[in-house]
Amino acid sequence: MELPQDALWYKDAIIYQVHVRAFYDSTGDGSGDFRGLAQKLDYLQELGINALWMMPFFPSPLRDDGYDISDYRSVHPSYGTLDDFKIFLEAAHQRAIRVIIEMVLNHTSNQHPWFQESRSSLNNPKRDWYVWSETDTRYRGTRIIFLDTELSNWAWDPVSKQYYWHRFFSHQPDLNYDNPAVREEMWNVMKFWLEMGVDAFRLDAVPYLVEREGTNCENLPETHQIMKDFRARLDREFPGRMFLAEANQWPADLRPYFGDGDEFHMAFNFPLMPRMFMGLKLEDRKPITEILQQTPAIPENCQWCLFLRNHDELTLEMVTDIERDYMYDEYAREKSMRLNLGIRRRLAPLLDNDRRRMELMNGILMSLPGTPIIYYGDEIGMGDNVNLGDRNGVRTPMQWDGGWNGGFSAADPEALYSPLMLNPVYGYQAVNVQSQKRFEHSLLSWTKRIIKARKSLPVFGRGTIEFLYPANHRVLAYVRQFGKDTILVVNNLSNSAQAVELDLRPYKGNILIEMFGRNPFPRIGDLPYLLTMGPYQFYWFRLRRI
Amino acid sequence: MPEETILTDDFLRELINVGEVDILIGVPTYNDAKTVGQVVQAIRAGLLKYFPRQRAVIVNADGGSRDGSQELVRAASISDLQHASHVYALRTLHCVSTEYSGGPSSSVALHTILAAAELLQASSCAVVAPDSTNIEPGWIESLLRPVTRDGFDLVTPVYRRHKFDGLLIRNLLYPMNRALYLRRVREPYPLDFAFSGRLATHFLGQDLWSQEAGRIGAEIYLTISAIAGGFRLAQSFLGPRAHVEYAASDLVVAMRRSVGVLFWSLEQNGSVWQTQAQSQPIPTIGPDHELSAEPLRVNPKRLHEMFVRGVAELEPVLKSILSQATLAELQRAASLPEEDFRYSDELWVRTAYEFASAYHKAVISRDHIVQALVPLYRGKAHTFLLENRDASSEEVESNVERLCVTFERRKPSLLEMWDGRK
Repeated sequence: MELPQDALWYKDAIIYQVHVRAFYDSTGDGSGDFRGLAQKLDYLQELGINALWMMPFFPSPLRDDGYDISDYRSVHPSYGTLDDFKIFLEAAHQRAIRVIIEMVLNHTSNQHPWFQESRSSLNNPKRDWYVWSETDTRYRGTRIIFLDTELSNWAWDPVSKQYYWHRFFSHQPDLNYDNPAVREEMWNVMKFWLEMGVDAFRLDAVPYLVEREGTNCENLPETHQIMKDFRARLDREFPGRMFLAEANQWPADLRPYFGDGDEFHMAFNFPLMPRMFMGLKLEDRKPITEILQQTPAIPENCQWCLFLRNHDELTLEMVTDIERDYMYDEYAREKSMRLNLGIRRRLAPLLDNDRRRMELMNGILMSLPGTPIIYYGDEIGMGDNVNLGDRNGVRTPMQWDGGWNGGFSAADPEALYSPLMLNPVYGYQAVNVQSQKRFEHSLLSWTKRIIKARKSLPVFGRGTIEFLYPANHRVLAYVRQFGKDTILVVNNLSNSAQAVELDLRPYKGNILIEMFGRNPFPRIGDLPYLLTMGPYQFYWFRLRRI
Repeated sequence: MPEETILTDDFLRELINVGEVDILIGVPTYNDAKTVGQVVQAIRAGLLKYFPRQRAVIVNADGGSRDGSQELVRAASISDLQHASHVYALRTLHCVSTEYSGGPSSSVALHTILAAAELLQASSCAVVAPDSTNIEPGWIESLLRPVTRDGFDLVTPVYRRHKFDGLLIRNLLYPMNRALYLRRVREPYPLDFAFSGRLATHFLGQDLWSQEAGRIGAEIYLTISAIAGGFRLAQSFLGPRAHVEYAASDLVVAMRRSVGVLFWSLEQNGSVWQTQAQSQPIPTIGPDHELSAEPLRVNPKRLHEMFVRGVAELEPVLKSILSQATLAELQRAASLPEEDFRYSDELWVRTAYEFASAYHKAVISRDHIVQALVPLYRGKAHTFLLENRDASSEEVESNVERLCVTFERRKPSLLEMWDGRK
């Protein structure tokens, strides 16, 4: 199978986010690796995804699970070799699965040779590769991101006797993007992987590249210019590849990352995600529709990336204080579930392991405008372990079967990089791929079906959206259109049955064909279209004029 | 024959769209456009501030306004339909409105509100009068919190009033209701109050809606029904209530709605009030009485004139209601010049109880009995004004308490009259 050659492939993508370490261990050392990941590509192909995003796999002291990189041009030994990666990449492409890798632009590990050189003396050629200061008072007022662990964005370096800037952990010094040499080297790093065949980069922490006094050091014009320069080079030298921005910002601040279609191809829709959870708990579409009303239009060649959960905490940075308190009270009653300004839980526990709610949320994820991402394990309803530190509770080994180590690894259980989930509800014996494959109506089987339905029409990835605002605020309804295809999506956010009347007069004369069962519903006439819906039920209707 | 329904199809459709709620606040209106906008804004602010996470709805039951009252209420809703709303709210706030049939009636409005509350499974409800212009957002918390948090079923208000405001309540409704039903509810005929969903369901099931009492005086009967049904009562201090000027003819209507229904209730709840037990206070959040210093215009001379004329003109009617001794004493009092006239507590209580007994026996038309009490009440009101003209807050309260004690002490006489022993 060949990769479809479409410059806008990312608009039709279904992305699967995976942590190499957590997926499958082929060597029996207790940690997942690229050979293991390659062995599971058939599973992923069968699931229906067509793009794979991997968390950082570079050499790293692993103090931030790989986001602290000490060598950009290699693979961490526990994941294999560069050749293993190349073999995996080729195998993925053969299955028409594109590969997105992390590129942590903003900072490195303090173990990176660049930093080791930079700190070694004030005169080192790489001194200016990082942001140094005599005092810790510059850029005052810049918010601290890792509130639970960091007291300042400056850290004292006893070697060079100066402070260095870090927006994340203190062992992750920020690179100095005012230095052309840094920019050139980071392009060369990206080029290294692009030449190998990598399809895209998820660029981590992009809002923080540049600092300026008197600003909040986020989303600065200089940062955007740097990204535009990278994009221009990408388009010139590697057309068809893609940049995905990780910028946890309000909609108005996110929009500039798309530029005029000349900066990032995609960006995560961070403001929408917590509001999907909020709308579900409130049983009210208001948080969802309001944030989307505030979300500016993006260039035609750009795309939002939608997600429910990922490897980080469910971030509550981009909500109001009232909303954050509400989310904590409803989704993270125990303080141990809270981290920084977020909630470190997986999808299934967040939704009380309610199959109906999981289906509904995935249905919304797959039908709103944007490219959906499935976090590994959520397709089978994996649970979390808040007793593991930091965000490790949502990064436990993938559960393949009910046998030894859940089928993840042949190693002794004590040698695993992380304990498996063991409790009777979410433990690997209860929740695993093998058992769910056997049943037509398992969550895994259902996920395959909805992915298939989503991929059956380009309207989901490329179409417009028009919200309907029925008087019943518990129902979230919208119409997607692209070319000749029109889809009506109706979601009941409530845990009780609902009746809703939709004004479908603009579509009068069309018959509604429910997309999963392919059964026809009555023709649209002049009167409000009455639908009755079970708890958390949703419909995808294709409108046909027959 | 299909059972009559109080919910029109259109209103039912609106309620279906609202769905289950935690809090329902009813606002009855009839041509209240001058004040209801301000009232609804305060209600909304109170909900957003004190109950931001609760599912809430404001239900307007309108008696056929032609001044835009309904539209003013609807305009307070908060939803995603109003793009870029300037009011921040976690969730949708519905404001729905319906026009009930049969002309303006606060009882029918209450009936509509209760029906909506039951349909929407509201666990906590309140009613706010459309002319409560002194309302503040804090009223919403003061009324609802005892229901939502503390499990009370009925929360009546306590207002800061001028000592000459609310005379009917001070001189008749409060003391008589207290003596008969043994609960010291300061405002037994409340205009702003809260109640539980439990009480709403119970009250909806009472056999009064097809009767006169259900058409004219459901509010006071709600209090009585709550007491009789063993529900938990409390009262909550709200603050000042704006004084509303009433025409003389309004007093007749007020008497029908309050005293008439009180008399009627005695026949429905004999097992509850026919006891000689002492009244008990009910839990009060905040002070249970407070006087406002704002000046209030009163006309005691006019009251005395109406009393004297009433005693004279209604003598044939009063003869069939009152005992000879009571009527003679009234006529003696009416013959005195105004400066010497006093309607003592003893005489007033005897009057009230004899009227109640006459109502029960229907010696003449019950409506005529209630109407005949009006001029006599005016006489009592005159005495209250004079006695308390220079009284301090404590002295006024002491005088009211004295009247209450008299009502309670004389209750056995009503019991004797009631069962024909006297």
